[in-house]
Amino acid sequence: MKDSPLTLYVVDDDEALRRSLLLLLFSQGLAVQAFDSGEAFLEAVDPSQPGCLILDLRMGGMSGLAVFERLRAAHSPLVTVFLSGHGDIPMALEAVRSGAWDWVAKPDTQQLLDKLPAAIAEARARGHAGRLWEELTPREREVARLVGLGQPNKEIARVLVPPCGPRSVETHRANIFHKLQCANDNELGRWLAAYPWLR
Amino acid sequence: MPSLFKRHPWRTLPVVAAALALIFAAGYFAEQRELQAKMDAVRQATAAHVLGLRGLVEKHDFLPHAAARHPDVQHLLQAPRDADLQARVNAYFADLQTTTGAAALFLIDREGLTIASSNWNLPSSFVGESYRQRPYFEDAIEGRRGLFFGLGLTTGQSGLFIAEPVRSGNTITGVMVVKISLDPLEQTWRHGANPVLLRDSRGVVFLSGVPEWLFQSAKPVSASDAAWIADHGQYGTRRRFDVLPWTIRVRDDVPGFVLRTSIDGRTRDYLALDTPLPGLDWTLTVAEDMREVREARRLALALGTLAVALLLLGVLYWRLRERRYAEQQSARVELEHRVEERTHDLQQAHAFRKAMEDSLLVGMRARDPEGKIIYVNPAFCAMIGYSPDELLGCRPPYPYWHPDDLEKQAKDSDDALNGRAAPHGFESRIRHKDGHDVLTMVYTAPLIDADGVHRGWMSSIVDITAQKQAEARQRDQELRLQRSARLASAGEMASTLAHELNQPLMALSNFALASRALAARGEAAMLTGALDDIVEQSRRASEIVKRVRAMINPQRADYATLVLGPVIDHVEALLKPELNGQGMLLRLMLEDPAIKVRGDKVLLEQVLVNLIHNAAQAMLDQPRHRRRIVLATCRVAQGVRISVSDQGPGVPPEQLEQIFAPFFTTKPDGLGLGLNICRTIVEAHGGAMTVANDADGGATFSFILPIVQ
Repeated sequence: MKDSPLTLYVVDDDEALRRSLLLLLFSQGLAVQAFDSGEAFLEAVDPSQPGCLILDLRMGGMSGLAVFERLRAAHSPLVTVFLSGHGDIPMALEAVRSGAWDWVAKPDTQQLLDKLPAAIAEARARGHAGRLWEELTPREREVARLVGLGQPNKEIARVLVPPCGPRSVETHRANIFHKLQCANDNELGRWLAAYPWLR
Repeated sequence: MPSLFKRHPWRTLPVVAAALALIFAAGYFAEQRELQAKMDAVRQATAAHVLGLRGLVEKHDFLPHAAARHPDVQHLLQAPRDADLQARVNAYFADLQTTTGAAALFLIDREGLTIASSNWNLPSSFVGESYRQRPYFEDAIEGRRGLFFGLGLTTGQSGLFIAEPVRSGNTITGVMVVKISLDPLEQTWRHGANPVLLRDSRGVVFLSGVPEWLFQSAKPVSASDAAWIADHGQYGTRRRFDVLPWTIRVRDDVPGFVLRTSIDGRTRDYLALDTPLPGLDWTLTVAEDMREVREARRLALALGTLAVALLLLGVLYWRLRERRYAEQQSARVELEHRVEERTHDLQQAHAFRKAMEDSLLVGMRARDPEGKIIYVNPAFCAMIGYSPDELLGCRPPYPYWHPDDLEKQAKDSDDALNGRAAPHGFESRIRHKDGHDVLTMVYTAPLIDADGVHRGWMSSIVDITAQKQAEARQRDQELRLQRSARLASAGEMASTLAHELNQPLMALSNFALASRALAARGEAAMLTGALDDIVEQSRRASEIVKRVRAMINPQRADYATLVLGPVIDHVEALLKPELNGQGMLLRLMLEDPAIKVRGDKVLLEQVLVNLIHNAAQAMLDQPRHRRRIVLATCRVAQGVRISVSDQGPGVPPEQLEQIFAPFFTTKPDGLGLGLNICRTIVEAHGGAMTVANDADGGATFSFILPIVQ
């Protein structure tokens, strides 16, 4: 899990700040890919891959919030940490409420360094979850979602298209638990809630 | 024409060969057919002749036998000296001869002497003549029937002699002979068209339709045969029998043979058939002229040649036609090709023109002299949102005319149609189909067709909306720039300052932390770079600070004598859009707009803008009817007092003291610098700033400036 490749992105339109972040993160042993605008980032990066994104809120052109909205619309598993300046704090709070991982007020570098490990761990967890999810068959994914909603086997068997017997739902469920390393319905429900972008 | 053959000599050869073969085959088949017909004719003629001969012979066949039975005949042989009997027999014979038409009847005794004859009374009478060497006598005396053709020994006339022995009991007492003349037959043959001839067993011709052939032989007569003939006086005293002047050719395809001979000096070919006559030991040869066969062949050849020639002509004609057709075809193809090329050129030209028209951003519209639209290009359609179908054929007023400018449009259109359009174009506001306005520049030129006839007017229409909007935007931007550069409220400026400063500060902090890590790892080169960056970012931060300070530094103020009214008017004009947007009403209550003060116009405007901003923000939570700001001026002892009052909640009493202090703020994102800066500016102008809460709610910020006389 620790070995899985993880990409760290920095999006900031201030050249010096961007460069300083690159150097800082590099000095912390983190490989970073930097972009000078939200447009360039969205153009170059596949949002369906897990990773960690440090995103400036206030940028010329596309704002950080707009970039984040686009990622959210694409159900991206990217973990987003906002950089906010003076006066943007309400905006940053709003972003976190709508699903961003965290925010850091400029110019508090230490705070960024403090919050980054958790964000990276989350990104790794999301990547891992995504890979586990990929192992499920489409049918199992559907069953898993229904199980996550707390539906009983009988109901799931009825709702599925095409429908099947409760016994095969039971088989699916066992496979799902095995593949997602969950012990019971509750755990699966929590797991799915933690990774709402999985489809 | 010869080229037709020369073109493919190797192909022509078999054709010629086949044609020749065809001709000859036709000839051959015609010949065969005619030959078969001829052969049939020969056979028929032969059968007829045989029948005639047989009839002739059989007719007299019984005669000697019957005569031999006659008692007088019998008696005469017993008593040859009986003259009376002899006379009776002679009469009987003569009677028989006349009745049957035989040439002669005569009776010969055992010694060969004639004792009675039908011609007893004629000079050529046979009576008394000896015929003992005649073969028929020899045969008959030995009890056989004698049959012999020969020349009469007495008469020299040819005839057929039929002899029967006359018997008396078992002994032969004499021979009864009937001579039949074949002359009538021969005469018939001579008159016949085709030669008929009879040969005896030795091959000598003794009866012939062609007199020249008489007593000639088909093959040389052997000496013994010749002797026999002479001995028996068959053909008189003849001893030599020439070979017939025939060239005989036997054909495989028909029985019989072809003989070539010369009759009356003319060479002729005959188809001949030999038929042996068994009872008579003769051979009957019937010949038919081959001329018809040859003619049939010739005719067939001629017809075949004609047919082939016709066929050939047909083929030649056909080939000629084919070739002409091919030529026409190729000519047509060439023509088509040329038409195609021409069409292609035209299409190219058309495509080129179309591409040109389509690529034009300038709208094009052509009208006839009456104003009917006859052409529009895509750019024009795109500009006004109508399709070409909707536009073509339209007459003024056009659908895209702006309803507010109808009169002007009509006049412009009229001018253009009358050739009075301004050469440098005129501006025209038109209405897009979806309702928005399009500003255009219209240039009109006469439309002259290829014949030089004036067909109407061509207008190019340039969409200048964007340009106009850009101009408007630029004006707007300039105004805003002016305002933010010269009149930005101190709060806004401070906020910008904070954000601006945050960037280098964050970079600084980043570089510093990175430097620490790099130093720990001993990355000297990178560390140096990072430190350089730190220095650079510090300079950047100080630049920002310097810039702001320069902006609000009263020391750099440009002092002048100012009329207060226009300054306030300018502030009102600058803020009006913003205040209107917030539903704020700004009321000016100027006691004397002409009062003059000494100060920096920009800085004084900044103070007023800042105070009005603050007043507006204080009233954002107020109901609309209370959103009123009063800017008032009045003379006081120290000069002129300028006050800005709002109807907001007022300043809490405990904050009245510290409201001008730096970094005091009630706003969530405020820096607390605005009022502080204002007070600094006012004080720099030799004035003082105060704040007071009004009795009916709200706060009044005021300052006094000295008056310049």
